[in-house]
Parts: sequence; structure tokens; C-alpha cells
Amino acid sequence: MTTIHRRLLLGAGLALPFAGTARAQQDINRAASFIQATGQELVAAINDTRADLATRRQRVAAVLRRAVDVEGVGRFILGRWWRQASPQEQQEYMKLFEETLIRNLSARFGEYQGVRFSLGRSQQRTEDDVLVNTIIERPNSAPFALDWRVGDVGGQPKVVDVIAEGTSLRLTQRSEYSAVIQQNGGQVSALLTAMRRQIQQLAAREQGAR
Amino acid sequence: MRITIPTSPGLARTALALVLLALPLLAGCAERPDPADPDAVAEFKFNNDPIEPFNRTMYSVHRGIDRAVLRPVAVGYREVVPQPVRTGIRNLLGNLRTPVILANDMLQGEPRRAGDTLGRFLINSTLGLGGLIDVAGNQFGVRGHAEDYGQTLAVWGVGEGAYLFIPVLGPSNPRDLTGFGLGIAADPLTWVGQGAAVDALLYSRTGVTVVDTRESLIDTLDAVERESLDSYATLRSAYRQRRNAEIRNAVDAPPAAGPTGFGVGVGMDAPPPR
Repeated sequence: MTTIHRRLLLGAGLALPFAGTARAQQDINRAASFIQATGQELVAAINDTRADLATRRQRVAAVLRRAVDVEGVGRFILGRWWRQASPQEQQEYMKLFEETLIRNLSARFGEYQGVRFSLGRSQQRTEDDVLVNTIIERPNSAPFALDWRVGDVGGQPKVVDVIAEGTSLRLTQRSEYSAVIQQNGGQVSALLTAMRRQIQQLAAREQGAR
Repeated sequence: MRITIPTSPGLARTALALVLLALPLLAGCAERPDPADPDAVAEFKFNNDPIEPFNRTMYSVHRGIDRAVLRPVAVGYREVVPQPVRTGIRNLLGNLRTPVILANDMLQGEPRRAGDTLGRFLINSTLGLGGLIDVAGNQFGVRGHAEDYGQTLAVWGVGEGAYLFIPVLGPSNPRDLTGFGLGIAADPLTWVGQGAAVDALLYSRTGVTVVDTRESLIDTLDAVERESLDSYATLRSAYRQRRNAEIRNAVDAPPAAGPTGFGVGVGMDAPPPR
């Protein structure tokens, strides 16, 4: 009986690390196919020149709302100022943040016409997330690599960060937003004003680039 | 070989680097965060920019110079000089940087990367017509990478020190600035000879490097200028992150003559010339 017991223990001890790597591999595969699918949808929406601008923007917006952890990323970027903001400011900020995210892409529809997208070679697991490496190719310009950080939000894979050439977008944007607030005497409202102005500029560019 | 100290451009530039290093000592300090607010303290440490007001002043000086001189010259260069010629010039500058890159590959204990650097130099200097054509990269698949003394100091465990913004050079810190000075002082090309012709050559090389670097950054910096709500903070964050990735050799090989090849630079993606 003790032998069986010991064998069981041994078996469990052996199986555990394998279970760990299998789990990690499963996470990587899930994140990679999620990014693959999301990327294809975005590329299809951007390249669909038969649809008008507003339709394409709405399609892109729908994909982004589904694929990006907008709430989590938005709060991360506002960082320590989230608690200083009034509930109205928090609500307004979230609305503007989502709009900025969408408009930042739709303002580039012209630039990204004919864009192609493929999974790169290195996919890796970090402590909490998976980094999915992709290659973005545009006509008449050199291809570049983008890493997507995919986290698990409520059981669903979601994009939580984008990394270009070793630079995390959410870290850079947090620095930028915090600087705007600090340069304006700690007023979150100053950031909201700046964001509104930026959205208008992006909208104007979108119209100009059609 | 005799070294004439006062007229050597290499030494003059090293002296300039030293003067720049001393500048922050005269500078004002940023307002310290409220010690009772741990998040504010954490952010202050994370940004690593205790002399921010001074740096922001230097940044506005830089933007003035950039708008008046650097950017227009870079745009003119892109318009007047055809793309294949610009690529040739960039390759040539990268090849001339071989001694510095090779020395730092070795100082960091990276024999494979040192081998790449040496092999590239031999192939490009001969088959590549003195470095004009990147035969090693295009035909043999040995891509170039940048290294500098700032990165070596980091690998050796030297901390970056407080963030610095230096007009014309861009974002930096005492460690990378020291590395920049060492790069000039330890480059054999700085000491190859003397006389007006050699000086003229060295100054032209510096001038062409500045123009080439600024040209490679036109699109990136235009985008930052247009899209960031605070371009100073965006560049600071991007430079420090990019630099850390380079130190870990985690970024895909940047061109050897790329902006961060200086040991300073804007720390942003520099696409190949178009």
C-alpha cells in the first residue's frame, strides 16, 4: 500500500511541472490565435475601401471595444490621478479615452491602406500575460514588429498593451497624461480639455486623409 | 603620429561633453512630491527626472534649434539627395563606427556579436566598396547592430543617473553622455592624424551624421509633435524604455548608424530611409 502511495506521489510530482508547461503553451496558443483573428478583422475593416469612412470607423471601433481591455488600460494610464478625479471626470475620461483609441487608428486609414499583418516568430509567456509578436507590413514602407500584451480579463483574452521597439505604449501614454495634469497644477480637467482638442484634430485628419 | 591637442576636433568634442555633464549641477531642481503621497513619490522615482524644469528649458531651446535648422536641413537632404545615395551614406557611416561597436561587443563579452561586427567590416569594406553597400546584410544575412560605451557601462552595472535633455543631442543621462564622450575619445578615427584636411573630414563626418540621424527621425518626431499632448514627457518615456531594451539587446538590430548609435538619441524607432 505504501508503494502505491509513494508511486502516486511520485506520479503527481512528475506530472505537475508538465501540467504547468502544457498550460502555458495553451495560453500562448490561445493568445496568438486571438491576436491573429483580431488583426485580420482590423485589417479587413481598414482595407475595405468600398465602405465609407464612418462605416469603417464603426467596424474598427467594434473590434477594439471587444478586443481591448479599454477600462483596465484607461485606468492604468490615468494612474494615480484616477483617485483624484471626481466621478464625473472619471466617466468623461473613460469616454474620451475610448474615443482617442478609436480615432488614433481611424485617422491613419489613409496611411495604412493595403496594410498586411502576420504573426511573428517569438511568442512568450510572462508572469501574468502573453506577449504575441506580429509583423506589420505596409506598401512602400519597411515592415515593423509590434508586440501585443494579452491578459486574461474575466476569462477572456484581451489586449492590455502594445509594445513597439521595446517601448510600451501604455507606459509612455501614462507619462504623457500625468505630465499634462502636473503642468496644469494637478487639474484632471486640463487633461480632459486637451483630450477633447486632440480628438477634434484626429477627426479632421481622418477627413483630410480619405 | 603627433597629437595636437587644441585643434583636435575629437578632444574639442570631448571637452564639450564634459562641460555639458557639469551643466545640471547649475540647474534648478524639480518640486519634490509630497512624501505623504506614496503614488506621487513612486511616479517621481519612476520618471527619474529630478531636474525636470531645467530639462524642459533645454528641450524648448532644442526645439527652437530644430525648427530653425535641424529639421529644415534634414527635410532638404531627403528632398535633394536620392534614396539610394542616402542609404549608401548611412551604410558608410555605420561602417566607420565599426571600431566603437567592435570594442563594445568585446567589452560586454559578446564574442558572437563581435564576430558579426568584424565580419561585416571586412565584407563591406571590400565587396561593399568601402562600406557604401551593406553586402554583409543584404547578401550574407549578417545584419548590423549598434553598441556604444553607454550600453557597456550599463552592462557593467553603472546606473543611468538623472535624466538629461541636451539640445541637439537629445535625451540622455550622465551614463550615456559619458559613454558618448568615451565613444569619441576612444574612436581611432578621432586620432588618425592632424592638419586641416583631417579636421575637415572629421567635422564633415560629424555634420553628415547629424543630418542623417535627423532625417531618419523626421516621420517619428513629426508624429510625436503632432499627436502627443506633452512631447517632452513622451520622448523621456520612450528614450528610457528603448534604451533599456537596447542594453538587454532585446530590440531587433537597429542600423549601425542609427540615432542611438550615438549613445544618445531620441530613443525612438528610426525606420530605414525612404
